[in-house]
Amino acid sequence: MDDEHPRLPLRLVVTDDLERSRVTVFFRLLLAIPHIILVCLWGVAAVAVSVIVWLALLFEGNAPRSLQAFVVSYLRYSVQVSAYIYLAAGPYPAFGGGDGYPIDLEIDPSPRQSRGRVAARLVLAVPALTLTAVVGGGSWFGNASWVASRSSDSGYSTGFTVGGIAATAAFLAWFASVARGRTPRGLRDLIAYGIGYTAQATGYLLLVTDRYPTTDPARVLPDASLPRHPVRLDLSDRCERSRLTVFFRLLLAIPHLLWLALWSVLTLLAVFVAWLVALVTGWVPSALHRFIAAYVRYETHVLAFLFIVGGPFPGFVGAAGSYPVDLAIDPPARQHRAVTFFRAWLALPALILTGPFTVALWVVGVLGWWAALFTGRMPEGLRNLGAVSLRYIGQANAYLFLLTDTYPYSAPAVRDRMRDEQLELPLDAPPGIEPA
Amino acid sequence: MPSGLNLPAVDVNAVFGKSLVHKAVHVERFFLVTWVMSQVALFATLWVYSRRGARFARESAAGPIGTGMLLGMLGLGIVWLVELPFRLLDVWWARRYGLTEAGYLDWALGHWFELGGAFVSLCVALLVVMFLARRLGEIWWIPGAAAFVAIGAAFAFAQPYLVSETTPLKDPRLRRAAAAFERKQGVSGIPVSVEDVSGTTSQANAYAVGIGPSRKVVLWSTMIDGTFSDAEVRVVLAHEIGHHSSNHIPKGLAWFALFALPGAWVLMRATRGRGGMGEAAAVPLALLVVAALQLALSPAQAWISRRMEAEADWKALQTTRDPAAARGLFVGFGKTSLGDPDPPAWAHVLLDNHPTLAQRVAMAEAWRERYARPKPGVR
Repeated sequence: MDDEHPRLPLRLVVTDDLERSRVTVFFRLLLAIPHIILVCLWGVAAVAVSVIVWLALLFEGNAPRSLQAFVVSYLRYSVQVSAYIYLAAGPYPAFGGGDGYPIDLEIDPSPRQSRGRVAARLVLAVPALTLTAVVGGGSWFGNASWVASRSSDSGYSTGFTVGGIAATAAFLAWFASVARGRTPRGLRDLIAYGIGYTAQATGYLLLVTDRYPTTDPARVLPDASLPRHPVRLDLSDRCERSRLTVFFRLLLAIPHLLWLALWSVLTLLAVFVAWLVALVTGWVPSALHRFIAAYVRYETHVLAFLFIVGGPFPGFVGAAGSYPVDLAIDPPARQHRAVTFFRAWLALPALILTGPFTVALWVVGVLGWWAALFTGRMPEGLRNLGAVSLRYIGQANAYLFLLTDTYPYSAPAVRDRMRDEQLELPLDAPPGIEPA
Repeated sequence: MPSGLNLPAVDVNAVFGKSLVHKAVHVERFFLVTWVMSQVALFATLWVYSRRGARFARESAAGPIGTGMLLGMLGLGIVWLVELPFRLLDVWWARRYGLTEAGYLDWALGHWFELGGAFVSLCVALLVVMFLARRLGEIWWIPGAAAFVAIGAAFAFAQPYLVSETTPLKDPRLRRAAAAFERKQGVSGIPVSVEDVSGTTSQANAYAVGIGPSRKVVLWSTMIDGTFSDAEVRVVLAHEIGHHSSNHIPKGLAWFALFALPGAWVLMRATRGRGGMGEAAAVPLALLVVAALQLALSPAQAWISRRMEAEADWKALQTTRDPAAARGLFVGFGKTSLGDPDPPAWAHVLLDNHPTLAQRVAMAEAWRERYARPKPGVR
């Protein structure tokens, strides 16, 4: 770790081999019931202990190590149980948590913490907890609505909505794991990211550490990487923001949103024509590919601007390389006709996953708006979470709109592996080359 | 309206009541002071922005036209922020005197969305101007003015369809009266709708919108909530139908065309030093020039509007032949809007797009003098 990004006090360790037993996957939730009960009970006790730790830190400036160890153990165990439930790991966890689990947590507790930040911990944790609901295991948002029937009888309806990137990824991973006996790496990494962030936020709330949680995927899950994909994110944004354009961001985006809506009508027509042509020839014509690619790029630029992931006001034509949060889209390539024919159905899982990514973008936008307004900078972690969301949404749209038949890749990484490798010297440098 | 019509002098204290006049003068004075202050702030802001605004171009990854749009929107946004305290003061004052029922949050949200609409309009305007300026060079102002008139005409036509939350007038007597007035004024097929403003304001208003087949008369719900008598509402209907029968909206467009052409030329000349309207850097200066033109032309615009309103008033009197109802209506307006019946001359020349309430009462009396006996309080 460099000086700019020191080691996180709560680090996720992933040694999972992706292999899953179909039977345990099928019954995963039921099998996890004893662990869920224990985690809940332990969680109540951990909260109670944290109140004592809070008082100790507030008045003594020091937390008893035994009490902190109790909370730390709870955190590790909850991470292992979450990993099991969400299919980020295969083996049945040990009750109470054990060493060597494929998804584990390394923790450096902070026995001394700033009194001011300790006093305000509950308030300070609100943004982190909001993000936990979005990227983590999800949250059960109660909702209520009036339902009017044709007979004009009104009724009060209540329900719950499941949210969360990791929860949605786990839902999709269940089908994949049952079918293949393996959890796809992208989904596993995405789930692990959600679990890792949730652990950070919980650790912060329960006073294990006073380091504020980061949503930066590169820090939560440093080993996650992307395979070569025809649709890639080019991120050259430097996080500086003009407070004035941030303040008026929503209104400044209105002309773009209107233009995007008009353009999308034409794009749908173009996609339909491209679909017919690709069914016959196996190729999307270059002119249509360019038109649709410009639309997908433009949508990325506009969303990046709207949600403060990007700084400058974007252009109106979706020109390649014109925006610091950009999509690089490869030229047209031959596509499998069967995949083209069933494209809308095949895209369904990816489109389901774009839902929580879109929610994440909104939350990034709202939190980023406040942060950028006061500091003139977009927090890098938030920016990168937004960038990952945009990359996935862009890839899903590109797949749906026939720009590529390569499926979107869900791992929470910003850059693809090939370009990272180009940027770095190999660890075991050949003779004559000194590592930089 | 007959030429050379002499309006009799009106004793506003006798007609509107001394206490109402005193209160109205007091209320109006505050609005005038905040208006002057906001104008000073507006021009100071736009002057600074015209000199320094171009640096915001670095916040754009768009081309020249997109960057121009950004600079235009930011300029408008800054002006909105600067004027916000004065508008807030106006709302506070209006709430204090019961002129508005809107809460501060509703008001702020409403203005926020209004600003969004202004951003879109500005972007369309800049798109037209900058596109033409980049294609045609300095002669952009000729097709540019024509394009604005065309956009204005399209907007005037479409406006009735953009007015939300209106319902058809239900009162059968008023509907019959409106139909009779249409026949008298030689027009037909003008629907009358009601716009629900309850919970927003207690002031009464009505307006005529649309051209040709889209013509429409809209009454605010406060006009027919019992504050005004049926006879008074009939005067309002006749007045608004009078706007349509006198073709005031097409005539307004013609006046707009007359102002648009030299206005566009002035804009072209003023921005020449910044590379012309084809360059984004010229947009901040263009905002200042447009604001200055608007202020400079406001007496002429207000005068044209007042002439049209006076003409519609006269038509209403000719149609209803009920000067007492007209007088009652204008006195009622004084009570609900707390408008100064006889405002300072400078404010009247610069801001009033209607004749003063005193002048409107005087016109009713002038009509009566021609056709009936005068009322007390009129010398």
